[in-house]
This record gives sequence, structure tokens and C-alpha cells, in this order.
Amino acid sequence: MSRRLWAAAAVIAAVVALSASAASAAETVGSCILDEIAAAKFEGIEGEGFTAAKNLKTLAAAGDEHAEELKVALGDDLEGCFDAPNPIIPEIKEIVWGGLAFVVLLALMYWKLFPVVRNLMEQRTQRIQDAIDDADRQRSEAAEVKANYEAELADAKAEAARIVDEAREQAGAVRADLQARAEADIAEMRERAAADVEASKRQAIADLQSEVSDIALGAAEAVLGRSLEDPEMQRQLVDDYIASVGAGQD
Amino acid sequence: MNIFALDFPPVSHLFQWPDILFTGNEYIGLNKTGLIYIAALLLTAGLFWAAGRRRSLVPTGAQTVAEAGIDFVENSIIMQTIGPDGRRYLPFLTTLFFFVFFSNIFEVIPFIQFPANSRMAIPLTLALVVWAIYHVVGIRAQGFYQYFKGALFPPGVPKALYVLVTPIELLQILLIRPLSLAIRLWANMVAGHLLLVTFAVLSAALWGTLYVPAVLPFAALILVTAFEIFVSALQAFIFTILTAVYIGGSLHPEH
Repeated sequence: MSRRLWAAAAVIAAVVALSASAASAAETVGSCILDEIAAAKFEGIEGEGFTAAKNLKTLAAAGDEHAEELKVALGDDLEGCFDAPNPIIPEIKEIVWGGLAFVVLLALMYWKLFPVVRNLMEQRTQRIQDAIDDADRQRSEAAEVKANYEAELADAKAEAARIVDEAREQAGAVRADLQARAEADIAEMRERAAADVEASKRQAIADLQSEVSDIALGAAEAVLGRSLEDPEMQRQLVDDYIASVGAGQD
Repeated sequence: MNIFALDFPPVSHLFQWPDILFTGNEYIGLNKTGLIYIAALLLTAGLFWAAGRRRSLVPTGAQTVAEAGIDFVENSIIMQTIGPDGRRYLPFLTTLFFFVFFSNIFEVIPFIQFPANSRMAIPLTLALVVWAIYHVVGIRAQGFYQYFKGALFPPGVPKALYVLVTPIELLQILLIRPLSLAIRLWANMVAGHLLLVTFAVLSAALWGTLYVPAVLPFAALILVTAFEIFVSALQAFIFTILTAVYIGGSLHPEH
């Protein structure tokens, strides 16, 4: 806020300084003529002093007899009020101040003002260029990362498919293995059962044979009414018979 | 001076100002013209100082103006007339542009209303500086003999015509160029100032007597004021680009 006030005050001061000079120059041809009349000194004429009004009074009092003299005395001076100096001829004081201002400005610009702003511009250009380069680099990096990621993803998918296939295969193999083993077990159990059955059958037949021979012997004894003399020999006899009967049945 | 019953100030009163410092001294008397040149110095220096102080990435205010000015002088003046090797003259040409522009633009600044370049002092001084610079640049770039030979005996001209061409070229590089450079700027500013004063005096005089007709010269005054803002910038541009053209001609004689 205060900075703006200072700036405004500086501008107003500059304008006043520059226009004050303008005001003091607000001279018209009329005022120039009056000045010339005031400054005029009339030789040979008695006057009251040297102001415009007094001089005009003097002129009026002088009358016609001095008319020619007055013309000569004033004419040249008044002519000057209409004269303008050659405007194309430069004034030395203006060259001095203008030239000094330009030289000082040039020195300031070369010394500090210009390079600072120029560097600022170049730094900005550099920064923008760097930002663009960086963005390009990052974009290509991102594309690379994406490509890698996609490749890895594809690999992972293939791997997953492979694992699933493998698992499926393994499962199939296990199933086949288990099935084969089960079938083998079943067959073995069936075989064993068959063998058991056969053994039991044989045992049963043997038991039956012994039982039958005992019963037959008992029956024979009962029929004959006596016991056979040599029981061992008799048993042998019966067994042979039964065996022959059994063989005949087979 | 009475013109059509208007009290028009004598022309000398429109351009010559009394001293306000060192009054009456022929060499260092400071008048309004001198003050405007000092103001042009302060404005240009202040603009670049403010531009360099902010240092923001996105330029605003003074920074925009200064950078746009540099950019304009570089791309629209130097690159068009000298080429990339003219960048060395960028600080000089930028200073020239802003100094001439600010000296001109006071023509429409209220209460000041005077283009300092409507006095011959600085147009002539700057033109002589430019004159010295393009000769020095030419002699340094091509050597004394080659530079003047190229300038006075332009290649491709039939030998017999050199009788005519050489004196003209001699006048041109020694006299016509600096004088035309100075007079163009000075005369444009004189004419602009006279136009503004004419319409201002006319408006004021008619306003005091007949109110309605004052509208016309006042409208013209507004238009001329706008036009003079444009002329101030245009003359600064022309002065700078011609300087660049002369320097470019000394650096690259083939063009």
C-alpha cells in the first residue's frame, strides 16, 4: 500500500516538475510585446520610468513629433516577438542533458538491468525446455514400464495356465494311480478271499472226511456189532474208500 | 499570433522552454526537454529494474513489458534485419527503442504534453551515435578498404555508372543516412505536437464561445491523441529498425 502511495507521489511530483516548466513558458505574443515595451528605453524622451504602463504613458505624451524615432526604437524589438529560432538547430544544453541521460541509461542497461532480465528469460526458456524433455523422458519410461508390465502379465498368465494344466495332469495321474491301486487291491482281496474260500473248503472237506469216516466207522461197528480189531487199519480202510468216493465225485 | 481570430501561440513557444535549473546557462541549463530525457532514463531504468526484481516464472506487470520489448527488438527487428549474429546489439537496440519511445510518449501525457524528440537535440545525437556505430562495425567486420569499397562501389553496377553512383553513395553513408534518421523522428514529433496543439487550441477557443462546434475539434483531438500514441511507438520502432538495417548492412555487405 505504502509502496503504491510512494509511486503515485513520485508520478505526481514528476508531472508537476515537468508541467511547471510548461506553465512558466505560457507566454503569448501580447505579453512579449508588453515586455518589450516595458524594457524599452527611449532616448531623448523624458519618461517616468521603465514599466510597460509608464512607457505607454511616455509614448502618448511624446506625441507625433517623435513617431518615427519610436518606430525605429521599438520596431526591431517587437519584431523579435514573432521571430522563432530555427527549430532544426539543436540547443547545446538539450544535447548535454539528453545525451547524458542516454549514456547513463546505456551504461545501466549494459551493466545490470538488461542482463538480469535477459537471464531471467533464458532461464525460463531453459526451464520450460527441461520440463518438456523431462516429460518426454518420463513418458517413454512409463511406456517402457507398461510394456514390461504387460510382458510380465502375459508370462504370469502363461505360467498360471501351465500350472493349471500341470495340476490337471497330476490330478489325472493320481486318479489313475489310485484307481489302479484300488483295482489291484480289489483283485488281491478277491483272490485272497477266493484262496480263503478254497482253504476253508478244503478244511471243511477234510473235516467232513474225518467226521464221515468216524461216523462210517461207528455205523459199521454198529452194523457189524463189533469193533474192528485194528482201529488204525480200519480207519485207513475207510479213508481210502472215502477218498475214492471223493475222487469219483470230482 | 492571430489565425482566424484564434490566439495561437507562436511556434517557438510550443517547442522552446525556459530553464528551470542553471537558468540561462547555454550549456547546462535544464529545461522541460532535458527533464523529459531524464524521465525517459528513469522510466526505462525503472522498468527493467522492476522486471529484474520480481523474477517470477510467469511474468506480470513490468516484467511482461520489459520482456515483450526485448522479445520484440530481438525477433521483429534484429532477426529480420541482421540475423542471429546481431544479438550482440540487442542491449543497445533495446535501450534505443525504449529511450526514444519514452521521450516521444510524453507528447500525450496529461500536463506534460511535449515530445522531447520534437527538439533536434536527441534525434541528431542518437543519429550520430548510430552513424559512428555502423561505420565502426563495418570497418571491423570487413576492414577499412573493403568496407568503403563495398559501400561506394556497389557490385553489379556497370562501371560507367560509378561516376553517378559513387558520389551518391558517399553522400548517403556520410550525410543522408544520419540526417534522414534524425529528421524523420524530429519532424514526425514536431508535426504530431503541432496537430495536438492546433486541435486543443481550437477546442478551447470554440468551447469558450460556441459550445456545439467545439465537439468536432475535440473529437479530432481525441483521435489525434490516439494516433500520436501509435506514432510515438512507430517512430521508436522505425528509428531502431533503421539502425539495425544500417548495422546489418555493415556486417553483411552482400545483402
